[in-house]
Amino acid sequence: MTEANVTAAKSEAGAVPENWKPHIVALVCNWCSYAGADMAGTTRREYPANVRMMRFPCTGRMSPLMILRAFEQGADGVLVSGCHPGDCHYVQGNLVARRRFTIFRSLMDFIGVDLKRLHFAWVSAAEGHKWAKVVSEVTTSVQEAGPLPSFEHPEGWGGIDLPEMTGSGPQELDEQRLDAIRANLRKAASEVLTTERAGVVIGYGSGSLPDQTHPVLITKTAECEKLEWGQGCRNNLGAYVGSALEKHERVAVVAKTCDLGAISGLIREGQLRRDQLLVIGVQCPGVRDGSGLATKCLSCSGDPHPICDLVVTVEGVQESCEDPSAAALDTPDARDEQIAYLESLPHEERWQYWQRQFGRCLRCYACRAACPLCYCSTCITDKHRPQWVPTSIDHPGNSTWNIIRAVHLAGRCTGCDECARVCPADIRLDLINRKLSLEVERQYGKIGLDPEEKSALVDFRMEDSEEFIL
Amino acid sequence: MSRVGVFVCHCGENIARNVKVQEVVESSRDIPGTVVTADYPYLCSAPGQQMVIDAIEEHDLDRVVVAACSPQLHEPTFRAAAAQAGLNPHLCEMANIREHCSWVHRDAEQASAKAYQTVVAAVERVKRSRPLDPIEVPVTKRALVIGAGVAGIRSALDMANAGHSVVLVERQPSIGGNMSRLSETFPTLDCSQCILTPLMVQVSRHPNIELLTYSEIEEVSGYVGNFKVRIRRKPSFVVAEDCTACGDCAEVCPQPSGNEFDMALSSRKAIYIPFPQAVPSVYTLDPDRCLNSKLDSPTGFRVLACVKCDEVCKPQCIDFDMQPEFIEREVGVIVAATGFDMKLGQQAAECGYGKHVDVMDGLEFERMLSASGPTEGEVRRPSDGKTPKDVVFIQCVGSRNPEHGVSYCSRICCMYTAKHALLLRHKVPESRAYIFYMDIRAGGKGYEEFVHRAMEEERVMYIRGRPSQIIEEEGKLKVLGVDTLSGRTVEIDADMVVLAAAMEPADHGEIAGKLRIAADTDGFFKEAHPKLRPVETLTAGIFLAGTAQAPKDIPDTVSQASAAASKGMEMLSKDFLERDPSTAHVDESACAGCFECLAVCPYGAIERKQLLDAQGEVFREVAAPNPAMCEGCGLCTVTCRGGYIDLEGYTDEQVFAQLGALGALREVIER
Ligand SMILES: Cc1cc2nc3c(=O)[nH]c(=O)nc-3n(C[C@H](O)[C@H](O)[C@H](O)COP(=O)(O)OP(=O)(O)OC[C@H]3O[C@@H](n4cnc5c(N)ncnc54)[C@H](O)[C@@H]3O)c2cc1C
Ligand code: SF4
Ligand code: SF4
Ligand code: SF4
Ligand code: SF4
Repeated sequence: MTEANVTAAKSEAGAVPENWKPHIVALVCNWCSYAGADMAGTTRREYPANVRMMRFPCTGRMSPLMILRAFEQGADGVLVSGCHPGDCHYVQGNLVARRRFTIFRSLMDFIGVDLKRLHFAWVSAAEGHKWAKVVSEVTTSVQEAGPLPSFEHPEGWGGIDLPEMTGSGPQELDEQRLDAIRANLRKAASEVLTTERAGVVIGYGSGSLPDQTHPVLITKTAECEKLEWGQGCRNNLGAYVGSALEKHERVAVVAKTCDLGAISGLIREGQLRRDQLLVIGVQCPGVRDGSGLATKCLSCSGDPHPICDLVVTVEGVQESCEDPSAAALDTPDARDEQIAYLESLPHEERWQYWQRQFGRCLRCYACRAACPLCYCSTCITDKHRPQWVPTSIDHPGNSTWNIIRAVHLAGRCTGCDECARVCPADIRLDLINRKLSLEVERQYGKIGLDPEEKSALVDFRMEDSEEFIL
Repeated sequence: MSRVGVFVCHCGENIARNVKVQEVVESSRDIPGTVVTADYPYLCSAPGQQMVIDAIEEHDLDRVVVAACSPQLHEPTFRAAAAQAGLNPHLCEMANIREHCSWVHRDAEQASAKAYQTVVAAVERVKRSRPLDPIEVPVTKRALVIGAGVAGIRSALDMANAGHSVVLVERQPSIGGNMSRLSETFPTLDCSQCILTPLMVQVSRHPNIELLTYSEIEEVSGYVGNFKVRIRRKPSFVVAEDCTACGDCAEVCPQPSGNEFDMALSSRKAIYIPFPQAVPSVYTLDPDRCLNSKLDSPTGFRVLACVKCDEVCKPQCIDFDMQPEFIEREVGVIVAATGFDMKLGQQAAECGYGKHVDVMDGLEFERMLSASGPTEGEVRRPSDGKTPKDVVFIQCVGSRNPEHGVSYCSRICCMYTAKHALLLRHKVPESRAYIFYMDIRAGGKGYEEFVHRAMEEERVMYIRGRPSQIIEEEGKLKVLGVDTLSGRTVEIDADMVVLAAAMEPADHGEIAGKLRIAADTDGFFKEAHPKLRPVETLTAGIFLAGTAQAPKDIPDTVSQASAAASKGMEMLSKDFLERDPSTAHVDESACAGCFECLAVCPYGAIERKQLLDAQGEVFREVAAPNPAMCEGCGLCTVTCRGGYIDLEGYTDEQVFAQLGALGALREVIER
């Protein structure tokens, strides 16, 4: 987008009325900030009247959905305020919340929300003066940001040409070597079944079109010949383990390197038990997405990961029992350049880019169905009392849905890219997911493959960074 | 449809000056669900409350909004009024239009608009409020006291004397804590042992006290009224019931060791009693010093390297195969009284502590002054046993020094240093005592007088400032410094230096973690409120006593111990406790069992509940917050992605409605 376009986009939103006053909603905790605001009253410290207060027991009760809802309802700015670290009435509520806010804020920034509208503060019960000061500063800041831009989605498909994604991808495997892998895989599967290490093997079977596969559940050794392997093996089969476990005590699952994170996440979150699972990792040639290699494959070696129970390569089948805590996901990703590019743009442009993207959403929830970690029995979007996420295919519900999905996967998404692959509207869900993974990793360390580890967003450290908090 | 009454208070002029009360009252009439609106000069007055009560009855109201001051001030008042009219108190909501509005916004237009919007949000919220009843929790009528220093002893005795049973757990072989080490106590100079020993004996004889010494807390689960505690009793290798404390064993034991009780200024044997008045009066075998080391690793048949004690023990109470014993107790309340340690950090090292034997800390000097101590109360230089003439005392070693020590004041050092100097002068009349100090903080009954006594009667030299250097020179310790009052440099050839080192909490997070209570940045247990709830913690049913909470002297320790005991007894005297019903609830049919909520709950309030199918088999595990433990923070609600947890009193629906009301009113501002 050129400079002129940006100005045009700005004026599109309409000129700011002369006497325009921002409307700010403040979510405050009962014990510190609410009492701090009381103290401002008791000591008669005047501050702008734009702010509307909502009392919560703790910052830990404030969900990103509530902040989004405030914006949806017409707030131009939101202020979130709680006790200083160490002062929380509930010991650690604000520390867990601080992580949530950090990640949510970086997402809001990424999709182009002007951070002048979203503020976080620690105000203690004694800090009446600070409360007055914070409200004044926030009001000025939101005043500068102007009225909340409309959630109306600008017309048009893409809007921004992002840098091309490059990477060497996994080691190339010719047909002959693929045949060898297939043979080894079938051998391994049939051995698993005969030795009763598992009652069923979930793998890929050939589909109706060349280069297409679909998941198959194999229970008889004779059927092992059906197992396919190649660039068409796209699905993350981890998502099928749960239902297979209803019939079988132990399930073997064929997994690409990129599927393992989800499997380990499901174990971590109590959806699978490691002892019910036999993971067959197979040397991967990368998967095809349209005409070329899928993005996620560009920076992947394709080597089966050490958390697998069995490892199938061109050479043969091995038992593997390495320590999962040693394993972590690869950091570099072909998408990182695109993310950096988007981040280099002014936030108005990012806002337009993402509103265009979200505007296309059909609310088909294919992304949710494909995501191995979206296992909730009823998704928050289907919740009616209250209906946090408007269901119509319209603004601002689309934005809320896409944001909430991303927030729910932050610190958990393992980059299998299934959501983006299945999205019929080609929304770059992968970019958002990756952005949040990067942010979580930057702030709280790598998202490991060890199912015993606590996930980053239910954890906290006293010394977590908080440079954005007033 | 709800029937809401909106009552707006003028608070005299306090609200009415800046908020157009009439306008707010009139506009509120149109809020859907509102059936009556009224205003009053002082709603909190008796007639004001009566007006609300009458209106509830007359108009058959099922919800009430009071727009007045902060709910922190009068929510209980108006909720009680609502209850008087037969309404569930949780159906009464306040809109804060004073502290958050009239007092902080001068522009009447803006203040009125904000007041109105605040009322609308409160109405929308209260319409979705549910009647809530307090949660009743049964109480186990027994108390646990952790730590048997003077604080723990006092708490235990108070509760036991009132007829409650008490389990008193002490990790050392004897009770008494640091006070049993002291010589004489300021400001009255009565002998510490003489006033403490009778209490220790009372504890050991009390029919309501179960004393578990040489024991540590393994695990604490449960919640107020219903804690379950697992205690590990370390093996003492001496059958306590049979030991007559004759001491024959120690006589023959060949293995010496420093006696911790005397701050290692004296020695004991591997089998020992820490001090003659120890309670219980039994010997303990130290497995780290005994020649049969690693005693507590049972390897079955073993050849013992030494059995001398066993041979001489007439009642035959040595048992080399004794194993740790695990004791489980159910208790209703817990008092944490784990006390303090001396913190000898960088600043103490700079003063030569650890390098020169003649530099000692306050507790070591206490032992030296004590008639039952290693020198039987005589002041002697540790290096050569000679009587010292010039003794330098240094206050604030490590305290009030955020860079190299701790930032807080240890509170007792000014006083005990004065006491030390005074006792030195009593014991060695020809001696000279010098005290380097920063300020003298003698805020206690008789304390100021005590310091003056040291200064005037005993002519102790007070020098304001910190010594800059201590050098060992010809068997003396040359202390260099500046008297910051006169600006003159000071040089003292001291025979001994005594450091008033900082006090630090004895617990380093271990007990705090097991009890799930907070500690402040310095590690002292954190009270629920520094002024109004100084002995309570934020975890219901757990109380604090003594120096584990903050540095303090014996009178303060004992007062706090009695306060903690009375708080505990307040609970123990009831059959049921009432708890705030604002707790988390899980939709079991939807819960996916990820247990991330369990991972974030600060109180361990979330339990795993097994759902059984018709055949009685477990088919799913779901989260189940225990209402008796949940404190209502709401952390879990946000953690649950599907939104299956809700928090009573702050439900999603209430929040949603409020947000709607606050947003939709944008027009009001622009009107
Ligand atoms: C040098 C010096 C001189 C002093 N002189 C005076 C004076 O003259 N007058 C005066 O009023 N005050 C004086 N004080 C202060 C006085 O010593 C304290 O106020 C008092 O001893 C505090 O008692 P307490 O019970 O809180 O702690 P403590 O005496 O430390 O008792 C704590 C007890 O808990 C036990 N414990 C710790 N952790 C655990 C655990 N995890 N499990 C089980 N048990 C545990 C410990 O073993 C100990 O027995 C002096 C202090 C010092 C350092
Ligand atoms: S798959 Fe794409 S279009 Fe469908 S709901 Fe998800 S983001 Fe929207
Ligand atoms: S988007 Fe969130 S609530 Fe919905 S299924 Fe996924 S994780 Fe669950
Ligand atoms: S977070 Fe939600 S889904 Fe997970 S266990 Fe708790 S209540 Fe159940
Ligand atoms: S509301 Fe807080 S205390 Fe209660 S169960 Fe949830 S996390 Fe635990």
